Amino acid sequence: MDHFARLGLPAALDLDAAALDRAYFAAQRQWHPDRFVARPPEERARASTEAAALNDAYRVLKDPIARAVYLAGLQGVEMPSDGKTIDDPDLLMEAMEAREALHEAASPEAVDALAARSRDDMTAALAGLGTLFLRGDRAAIRKTLLRLRYLDKFAEEARGRRTNLQREKA
Amino acid sequence: MAYSEKLIDHYENPRNIGSLDKSAEDVGTGLVGAPACGDVMKLQIKVGADGLIEDAKFKTFGCGSAIASSSLVTEWVKGKTIDEAETIKNTDIARHLALPPVKIHCSVLAEDAIKAAIADYRAKATKKDETREAAE
Repeated sequence: MDHFARLGLPAALDLDAAALDRAYFAAQRQWHPDRFVARPPEERARASTEAAALNDAYRVLKDPIARAVYLAGLQGVEMPSDGKTIDDPDLLMEAMEAREALHEAASPEAVDALAARSRDDMTAALAGLGTLFLRGDRAAIRKTLLRLRYLDKFAEEARGRRTNLQREKA
Repeated sequence: MAYSEKLIDHYENPRNIGSLDKSAEDVGTGLVGAPACGDVMKLQIKVGADGLIEDAKFKTFGCGSAIASSSLVTEWVKGKTIDEAETIKNTDIARHLALPPVKIHCSVLAEDAIKAAIADYRAKATKKDETREAAE
């Protein structure tokens, strides 16, 4: 059963966050271990398996990028696994230049400006995915998802860099 | 997790950080990434008229093991022919730096980077030969 089906939600890129929460908490109550304390071991085991699968589903669907990667996977778009490398020049050049700019950013404000631009890129890329999914353009979906991975990594690095700069200032 | 002294040395004192002129005919550039961890690595070689790699530079944004792996490769390839440099295996890098199993992929990135740099250099050299032939 895929994550969407498990939560009784349509397999879509855009999910209503409130609907996702409701579906998750309702299902989680249904399989809560407390309700199975007095049940036979096989039912208890089933409940704990279901609860774990629900947590997985929720974790993936809650995050827009993880959700998009997962949905793409359901539609046959393969992402490189751990330890696999890519050599797409546009994508890597963009990532390299962004990281260099972040490395050179000398104030929390400079980091914020870079982070804001990267966030805009991320929003635009996520918005553009909808059309690519409709068209079923797997190559473009894959490229956009890889780009989103790098933008997400950039956001993480920017937070770290900002903390360091603020500490130096203090 | 304990890291080896060699790894820490390359991480704390990386060799050959920087860039070479990407558009120069005698420079090959390899740009590779590991999307799973968001690492990106650029490795460049400059090949002399004698066919030996006379300079190598790298720029890596990633974890310590990725930085150490690329630093080590730039050190290893200097003075080698590109054919020799091409035989560098990620397992050699991982063994030399005693990379822990979860960091083996960083050595894969470095092997792919040097291979990509060599491929770029060869593509340029072939193009140069063709242009020369066409002119003759």
